[in-house]
Amino acid sequence: MPEFIKDVLILLRPRFLSFKNPLLSANSKKDFSRNLVMGAAGLFFWIGIFIISYRTLKYFRRIEGLGDILIFKLLSMLVLTSFSLLIFSSILTSLSKLYLSRDLELVHSMPVSGNRIFAARWIESTADSSWMVIIYILPVFVALGIINKAGFFFYLNTALVLLSLSFISSGISSVLVMATVFIIPAGRMKSILLFFGFTLFLTLFLVFRLLKPEQLVDPDVFSTVVVYLDTLKAPSSPLLPSTWAYDSINESLSGSMQSSLFHSAISWSFVAVILFINILIADMIYFKGFSKTQTASSRVFKYKYSDFPFTGLLPGASRAFVVKEIKTFFRDQAQWSQLLLIGALVIIYIYNFSVLPLEKAPIKTIYLQNLLSFLNMGLCLFVLTAIAGRFAYPAVSSEREAFWLVKASPVKIRTILWIKFFIYLFPLLILSEILIVATNIILKVEAFMMVLSFITVFLVVPGIVSIGIGFGAAYPDFKSENPAQSVTSFGGLMFMMLCAGYIMAVIVLEAGPVYSIFMAALHERSMTILQWIWIVVSFSMVVVIGMFAIFFPMRFGEKGLSKVLP
Amino acid sequence: MILLENVTKKYGDYTAVSNLNLEIPRGEIFGFIGPNGAGKTTTIKMMGGIMDPTSGSIRIGGVNIKDEPEKAKRKIGFIPDRPYLYEKLTGREFLKFIANLYEVDDKLFTEKAEKQLAMFSLLDWSDELIESYSHGMKQRLIMAAALLHDPEAIIVDEPMVGLDPVAVKMVKVLFKQLAENGMTIFMSTHTLKVAEDVCDRIGIINKGILIASGTPSELRGKTDLVDADFEDVFIKLTT
Repeated sequence: MPEFIKDVLILLRPRFLSFKNPLLSANSKKDFSRNLVMGAAGLFFWIGIFIISYRTLKYFRRIEGLGDILIFKLLSMLVLTSFSLLIFSSILTSLSKLYLSRDLELVHSMPVSGNRIFAARWIESTADSSWMVIIYILPVFVALGIINKAGFFFYLNTALVLLSLSFISSGISSVLVMATVFIIPAGRMKSILLFFGFTLFLTLFLVFRLLKPEQLVDPDVFSTVVVYLDTLKAPSSPLLPSTWAYDSINESLSGSMQSSLFHSAISWSFVAVILFINILIADMIYFKGFSKTQTASSRVFKYKYSDFPFTGLLPGASRAFVVKEIKTFFRDQAQWSQLLLIGALVIIYIYNFSVLPLEKAPIKTIYLQNLLSFLNMGLCLFVLTAIAGRFAYPAVSSEREAFWLVKASPVKIRTILWIKFFIYLFPLLILSEILIVATNIILKVEAFMMVLSFITVFLVVPGIVSIGIGFGAAYPDFKSENPAQSVTSFGGLMFMMLCAGYIMAVIVLEAGPVYSIFMAALHERSMTILQWIWIVVSFSMVVVIGMFAIFFPMRFGEKGLSKVLP
Repeated sequence: MILLENVTKKYGDYTAVSNLNLEIPRGEIFGFIGPNGAGKTTTIKMMGGIMDPTSGSIRIGGVNIKDEPEKAKRKIGFIPDRPYLYEKLTGREFLKFIANLYEVDDKLFTEKAEKQLAMFSLLDWSDELIESYSHGMKQRLIMAAALLHDPEAIIVDEPMVGLDPVAVKMVKVLFKQLAENGMTIFMSTHTLKVAEDVCDRIGIINKGILIASGTPSELRGKTDLVDADFEDVFIKLTT
């Protein structure tokens, strides 16, 4: 075996072993059941994408004349979007793998040349940045193949061409990363990239939303369809790797194997070219960039010591953690992009309600407004769950390896969890109330619905925050380089499922009584005693479940965290 | 001041510390030495309230750490072997965080913090983020934080790791001064010279069992190596 490949394989060995060894550990049974749950959730999601893709493509196929054009435009957009996603994901992954990983100092001290270290890291980075994107776009192509009754060649060619696309995107990203790190230190570049990446994404998202794409299905603007068709038929640039992949898939779908192989060959030959360029550049500048990363200071601001005036009223331990959480949160640049994302979500959420064409609906407007308001309550709580998953769930894991300070401090674990609960409760509660009140004002709902939504959100939000803090404490990850990602773990999945169940239970409990009250008011009739009992029991149940949702997860988290060693 | 009675810690079937008995009076510096994996850090973590013993009891200043952990922890200044801190706080902010946790009087904080920062040569760095500190600076900051609330006992794991020779000398002198003023110090170390220079008594642990304890000269007496280097005494006792 050539020396180069042998060295690269040796460097990749720890990664292979880290997959194998957990199977031999004492915790393997526990890990196996956790992985089983995670795998089942992933499969469920995969099947969901497949069903939606299948139904959408089947629906498009039925539209005469326009159907095939729409399908292929959709396919081309999907390949282009996947390619952009792969590039963005591999820029961040290769930056970490090549310059910021903790084990790099050890690896660079070994008697192996820089280009071999680069090659091993690049292979890892390619796999890490692309596996999820590839796995979750595959069901769309499987659906496409089934609808077009494609043969085995289509599936094999699609898999291979997508693989080439992930190599190309990873190759382009690593060239960009190596060149940039040569100028800007890697630590600062990650913050800059995250910030500008998210800002760009949000701008595009906002512009797209404000263009009102829903008007495309509005009969009033149908006169523009000829222009629309022209745009659909316009070919993509032949210089884009995504076009080679799209052409190859498209040709294999229509059965012309030779033409498909030609486009695949272009894609794979570019893989060889980009790999060659990468090795050349790595030889020239990779180690120099890594060396710079080790010595460059990442300090951007000078911090002046100050205390928050409003925290003076709090007891010592609460003050300590409130000040620490707020300061560490806002000093972490990675959080800024997340806050921007939430800001954009809130604007779009409220904006969507303002453009709803309620007056065109065949159902009575007052009925529709209140029905929407009721559904909006559930939707708003689901949005809050996603936000709590990003902020409240990782609150305990964000202590990272400084968790020993919490364990050694003269404060009960319970107290610390409740402090964290209140730190996240207030902003999340205010955010949810703003969302629900603003959308209800736009919908011009009845006073009853306004009060009901306000109180329900007020009761349910503490439960969601508590599930987040409690399950984050029961399943902490102090070793993670990015605690925010801990919500994608087993505990995070449990948190999401439990919150979804809790919200649905509240909606189901309130739906019946709300309908009775609303119909009675609409038809100006009084309610029966039985209906009153039903209402009292249902709302009491909501309060009881709410209390249970606040206290049980916190106790569960306290028990779990007490057993965790720093 | 520190009392360990029949303390045992098991990880599954593996016994990390077995039936450990120790009594350390007020004002004594007790050194805890042993080979890697002997049970030193496990013992220290149990004494710091970070880990529960499987059986036995630990009392700090007469308070059982299992029954009243918060009360016992207030009496301790805990210094771990690896200085993991909140990287996004400045050194001074970290001291304020600790002062709030241990309820140090706000009026006294500034004076105490300045004194500790100056003593550990951190004044010039006090408004910089901890993420820019070196390993030794982080270790010094933890020591400063551990002394901020005037604890009755210091429990320290490998105090000299990462410190430069000036800081090592300063810590040795400081520990002696603190002990003279009545503070009890329990320290584990691999640096036998430090143990010999600083400690009043030394305990040697091997495979979770306390195999010997006493003053350095008493330990020498337990072997035939009366004039030998303390390293040889250690090797003879542990092999």
